[in-house]
Amino acid sequence: MAELDHWHPVLFADELGKKPAPVRVCDRELVVFRASNGQATLGALADVCPHRGMRLSEGRVEGGRLVCPYHGWSFAPDGEGKSPATPAARPCADAFEVVERYGLIWIKRRGVDAAFPALDVSGYHFIGKTRHRAEAPLEVTLDNFIEVEHTPEVHALLGYPRERMAEVTCEVTSTERSVRVYNEGPQKALPRPLYSLLQIETGDSFVDDWTTWFSPVYTVYDQYWFDPATGQRRPNALRIAIFFVPVTAGQTDIFALSYALAAPWERYGLNAFAYLLTRAFVVMELRRDVTLLGKLADKSPELRGRTLSRFDKPLGLARKRIESIYRGRG
Amino acid sequence: MREETEVIVVGAGPSGLSVGACLRSRGISFEILERSGEVGSSWRNHYERLHLHTVQRFSALPGMPWPPGTPTYPSRAQMVAYLDAYARDFELHPRFGEDVRSARREDGGFVLRTEANEYHTRALVVATGYNRVPNIPTWPGEASFGGSILHSSRYKNGDPWRGKRVLVVGAGNSGAEIALDLWEHGAKPALSVRGPVHVVPRDLTGVPSQLSSLFLFSRLPPKVADAISLFALDRLLGDLTPYGFTRPKLGPISQVIVEKRIPLIDVGTLELVKQGQIDVVKDVRSFSPGEVHFVDGTTRPFDAVVLATGYRTGISDYFEDAEGWLDERGYPRYFGEPVPGAPGLFFIGFRNPLTGALHDIAVEAERVANYLAGEKR
Ligand SMILES: Cc1cc2nc3c(=O)[nH]c(=O)nc-3n(C[C@H](O)[C@H](O)[C@H](O)COP(=O)(O)OP(=O)(O)OC[C@H]3O[C@@H](n4cnc5c(N)ncnc54)[C@H](O)[C@@H]3O)c2cc1C
Ligand code: FES
Ligand SMILES: [Fe+2]
Repeated sequence: MAELDHWHPVLFADELGKKPAPVRVCDRELVVFRASNGQATLGALADVCPHRGMRLSEGRVEGGRLVCPYHGWSFAPDGEGKSPATPAARPCADAFEVVERYGLIWIKRRGVDAAFPALDVSGYHFIGKTRHRAEAPLEVTLDNFIEVEHTPEVHALLGYPRERMAEVTCEVTSTERSVRVYNEGPQKALPRPLYSLLQIETGDSFVDDWTTWFSPVYTVYDQYWFDPATGQRRPNALRIAIFFVPVTAGQTDIFALSYALAAPWERYGLNAFAYLLTRAFVVMELRRDVTLLGKLADKSPELRGRTLSRFDKPLGLARKRIESIYRGRG
Repeated sequence: MREETEVIVVGAGPSGLSVGACLRSRGISFEILERSGEVGSSWRNHYERLHLHTVQRFSALPGMPWPPGTPTYPSRAQMVAYLDAYARDFELHPRFGEDVRSARREDGGFVLRTEANEYHTRALVVATGYNRVPNIPTWPGEASFGGSILHSSRYKNGDPWRGKRVLVVGAGNSGAEIALDLWEHGAKPALSVRGPVHVVPRDLTGVPSQLSSLFLFSRLPPKVADAISLFALDRLLGDLTPYGFTRPKLGPISQVIVEKRIPLIDVGTLELVKQGQIDVVKDVRSFSPGEVHFVDGTTRPFDAVVLATGYRTGISDYFEDAEGWLDERGYPRYFGEPVPGAPGLFFIGFRNPLTGALHDIAVEAERVANYLAGEKR
């Protein structure tokens, strides 16, 4: 399978209104539109008219069809085209499969049977979504998200304290399809009011337990706290899914969906407030990641020749699976 | 071998285990007989994607809340772990591999037979579940179909069907979720819907439907509750008839009360139906090689069929002369209370109210244990 044979998120669903939207994914320019002909059908086509190369995203939707703004040829979601001036003509635009789920618009190539990314958030409560663009290739972007060694330097709240990094455990397990990393260590010191808001205590252990999958490339994080003396878990936990979408060879979009275990209406709505803050924290921390990635001097995905740390084992495992599963080579 | 006991509980699912725990705390001796090798065998065997559609806080068994860190809707695996912990904490040791093949009344007590043993007991608690025996309908031409036809009880996940066209028969909760699971695994599912059905999202604007029904609808007259819920559903889901779902004449709340039918609790299937990813088709009429024919005269090719056609209690399969206590569909008429004319007999776990079967089981188990404790005194 090649990259576009997997389902990729390309837009937030609420960003796609009546107007067609241009998107760029895996170096392809596509147009996504809502063909609201009674049914909630979506369309995704190559963003170039098969007639004389106009950008279809400059067009409009009419009667469930996308109309090219140059000579008015129109296209159905499956690519079937009509030319008003030449009724006998049967033009055909390059169509993609498109679906709306989890508040995102997803696309993939037609005629390939890819599984949809598994995201078990049954019984979790949605707290926010965000998107960021990293000026770095897919592999190099993912690298940042599958090790915690950078958290003391890069992150304000997430992760482990610099002076106690040596205590942080990092267990890596893998299957043919996935790489799992389990990190456990002391929670980094937080501003005082956050402890009661997040229902944690000073001295708590923080677990960051994630699994990366490769069709498409995405990581699901489970983050929670427990009392190191008793092992008792704190009442809340976060589950965050991050999808890594190559835009061009040197740019990667990350789409993050955050969920929490405890219901927002619990604790008299205090959780709702906590989630507002959590959402802002996730945005802030992701911004720090992508800003940093943009400043790398060497953005080559090549790992050979680099000096790696005990936290870097997942990088090589992920490389192999990106090659075989995601890019379908070897 | 012949054994004499005070109380026998048949089945080590949530019902049997709950009764066991309640009897233990009342100091009553009992035996649990379970046909499989582990507790909670129904939950071990359900399809992998399954989660409780009821809220864990209102789906706990007597005496043991769900552990911290459990999401609102626990997964199948979490349910199995919970049942294991329950049996461990209450020191319940069912006799495994004891499949009760026959049960009958004798001398004011009961005689049960398994392959190896005969049990004589004064009191009997039937906790064999309302999903004991799969309903497997048949259609003309089925043998010629060629593809696999399996009941939902044998469906695990959609992996084997990537790229395949699969018909799911029956738009209950299992059918709708299995169609979704197939789609997620890259199969091309269609869902065969027979007759009208109410569709209710699992969460109504973020609030679990079970909670709305627990707190709101159990206190209102059914007609009012129906009107409120239909108003909300119209706003949330819109008109579903273009997609193949027709609405029953009876409102969703009345249907639960009158017909004992719970609505389809949607966990994401509807979104895909609306986008044309999962087709809704009519009732099946017949099969031919590689094809299924529907009652509206249409025909479609399929590679496999999953029968999400439900279960029956199968009580009369092993319980002699049980018909008097069962309704026309084979469900006991008495729940968590003594059966008239059959002292010592109790049924538990055969109701499925909107408020959740597990919630009901927890209440019934205490009542059954109280009756048994009272009788003893
Ligand atoms: C797909 C599905 C999803 C569900 N989801 C929910 C939910 O979200 N929330 C909820 O509240 N309820 C739900 N239910 C209802 C479900 O019935 C209860 O959750 C619960 O499992 C019922 O417990 P039980 O002990 O009565 O039956 P079961 O769990 O079925 O246990 C019966 C036990 O009896 C044993 N047994 C049967 N016959 C014999 C025999 N002759 N001799 C010896 N042993 C025997 C079986 O092996 C089994 O272990 C669901 C049911 C199904 C089928
Ligand atoms: S370029 Fe699109 S219609 Fe001519
Ligand atoms: Fe980071």
